[in-house]
Amino acid sequence: MKNNTGGTGTVFRYTVQQHYKTTSVRILIIILFALSVASIPLLRLIAGKDSEVSSSDIKSLYLYNNTGFEITKDDITADERYASITVNASDGDKDALRQTLHDDKTAVAAFITGDEEGMSFRIQGYYGEGSDISEKDCETLNHVLQDALHQSIMRTMNVSQEQIDTMNLNVFSQVSTVDDYLKGDDQVVDPSTHMTVNLFYSYAIVLISALAMSYIFQQCMEEKVSKLVESLLVSVSPAALLTGKILAVTLFVFGGIALIAVGFVISYFIAKSTGDVSFLPETFTKTFGIDTSALHFNPGTVVLMLLCILLAYFILAFFSGIVGSCCSKTEDTQQASIAVVLFLLIGYYVASFTPMMQSDTVNYFVSLFPVTSIFTALPNYICGKITLLIFVLALVIQAATVYLFAKLAGAVYRMMLLYRGGFPKPAQLIRMLRENRSSAKAGAGKEG
Amino acid sequence: MGFLVTDLFKKYGEKVVVDHLSFRMDEPGVYALLGTNGAGKTTSIRMILNMLAKDGGTVEWNGAPLTLRNCNVGYLAEERGLYPKNTLMDQLLYFAALRGVSKSEAKKRIEYWAERLEATEYLYPKQEGKKPVKPKKADQLSKGNQQKIQFMLALLSDPELLILDEPLSGLDPVNTDLFKSIIHEEIEKGKYLIMSSHQMATIEEFCTDLTILNRSKTVLQGNLADIKKSYGRINLFIKAEQNLKPEIEAAGITILNEVGFSYQCRVTGEAQANSLLKTLVEKGIILITFELREPSLHEIFVEKVGDVHEE
Repeated sequence: MKNNTGGTGTVFRYTVQQHYKTTSVRILIIILFALSVASIPLLRLIAGKDSEVSSSDIKSLYLYNNTGFEITKDDITADERYASITVNASDGDKDALRQTLHDDKTAVAAFITGDEEGMSFRIQGYYGEGSDISEKDCETLNHVLQDALHQSIMRTMNVSQEQIDTMNLNVFSQVSTVDDYLKGDDQVVDPSTHMTVNLFYSYAIVLISALAMSYIFQQCMEEKVSKLVESLLVSVSPAALLTGKILAVTLFVFGGIALIAVGFVISYFIAKSTGDVSFLPETFTKTFGIDTSALHFNPGTVVLMLLCILLAYFILAFFSGIVGSCCSKTEDTQQASIAVVLFLLIGYYVASFTPMMQSDTVNYFVSLFPVTSIFTALPNYICGKITLLIFVLALVIQAATVYLFAKLAGAVYRMMLLYRGGFPKPAQLIRMLRENRSSAKAGAGKEG
Repeated sequence: MGFLVTDLFKKYGEKVVVDHLSFRMDEPGVYALLGTNGAGKTTSIRMILNMLAKDGGTVEWNGAPLTLRNCNVGYLAEERGLYPKNTLMDQLLYFAALRGVSKSEAKKRIEYWAERLEATEYLYPKQEGKKPVKPKKADQLSKGNQQKIQFMLALLSDPELLILDEPLSGLDPVNTDLFKSIIHEEIEKGKYLIMSSHQMATIEEFCTDLTILNRSKTVLQGNLADIKKSYGRINLFIKAEQNLKPEIEAAGITILNEVGFSYQCRVTGEAQANSLLKTLVEKGIILITFELREPSLHEIFVEKVGDVHEE
């Protein structure tokens, strides 16, 4: 068996080649790409931003309003699309309107009514049979009337838009020591934002790792299941075999993510070229409701984030490699999955709950402890909870963990390739590793 | 020069599975590793190939510890398989690439072995009608045909040392002869072959030297011809046209098997057989066969391991 990593490239190329040759994988890639390309136009459609026309064919409006809140012609013509519309008051006689709308193909009617309790209003738009007016045009006018009604209500109640915006402002609270305040270091991220950033980042790590986990299990077992191990081991070392496979899985996962990202970019430009995309930042802010002003976020952080994601990925990939190597048959992957999921859950829950503690000691500890570091170090740094020095130290610890896990994964993979028993318990695995190590030492001693 | 295994030792916990195995091959030829099931043959092979950590002992090739960098090894494992969903050609090219064989050279070798092993139709399927040709995958082949591809994988790198673990098991008589002819060719090319098999007739056909293992220990080792010679010619086969049982028993010879007037006997030596022959001739008995033979490898194996575990 080769003692170096010779053959890693060949294993990598073959694994990638075979993966992308699979029809189901190709179909999945096409579907994912198509979905990501369609995502923003779809989002706009769902958000209702596509239901409006850019110019209107409506020449006259018959308006019936019994709400008590006056809607003037100016309220409607303020919208450029309806600047030249004629507004006629209607008495609500639908039979008379039917004839009117039948005769005038460019006219529509709108009934604005309130319920008996005064708790809600309804706007109903009508157009005549064989009318030149599209339903979408009618819907757009309804939106304009809806805004006009709100304006009218505010006017009646002497409330300005500015007052409403002020009432809806987010309130972020924070507590800092007087020392921090005096140092001018009191711009601290509030616990809610800290938790959201932590959760968002942890979720990304869990998602990527969960994707990689099943691939790695499959790759670790492939030779065992197809009984190819021995034939292969005279050609390539287990370390090279495992490294080549994990690198291939890395390409599948990050290649997939990159493809989706490219899809989103294309989607954005498609959406931009066909309409308004200004609703996107608004939707994002509304969804997450975080105060980004105090975050240490800049282009450099993006690079750091990619580095952190890669380190986290490799730690979890090699951990999956260790437990995946212990699987001899498909049923064993159930137990292996539990081990990886436990690892992920510990990190995820720590990332979720530690912001609530608002303790520097806890933040420092979870940022430096290898299992939790991959989930918390970057969010803690971005949120200003740990210093740059501690963050760099956390990255060094993570890099060392990657190295140790890679070495351990190689040793376990080599040892377990010819193992055909059940999924070993941790104590059994450690005992086997010790025995194997002493055997290797004994063998090396004699040959040396 | 050659191949040298010294004091190979392996234990799992307290259980010794290979107990100080030593053997050598000073020149090309076939060395047989025989033994009952669980005697330690496959474990020994795995240690020889560094797949399994040794608890002791050394394996040398041309005076240096054997590694895959200093020795081009071909291995047909007892537990063999192929990637079921990958095409055969992809797998062969992959294995060749792992062994450092260039793609163009690998293609030439694959073509040669495909023809030699009569596997051309699986590796180069012909177009039938207008349907596009789909390359064959491993799970579309019978077990015997998969074994041909596995044999190709072992031979693709043109190995100096070829280790064959049960190479003929599961093959039909036609393919058995095909594999045998290729093994003969490899021997003629001056390769070192280590063969493990339960088919004693096959071993006798190929091997010059052997080791018999029983429960991890070496119970017999040496040159096959010398071993047989050491046993002497003690198997006597007699065929006549009348009952010879009284004469044989009177000469103190043990009858092992009797079918009609054919007898398989065990003698103490050539003198005892000659004495019987003299008696029979003097009595004017017409003999069809009177043959004194050395014991077969099968008999030696059964005698050494004390139980029948073959075929």
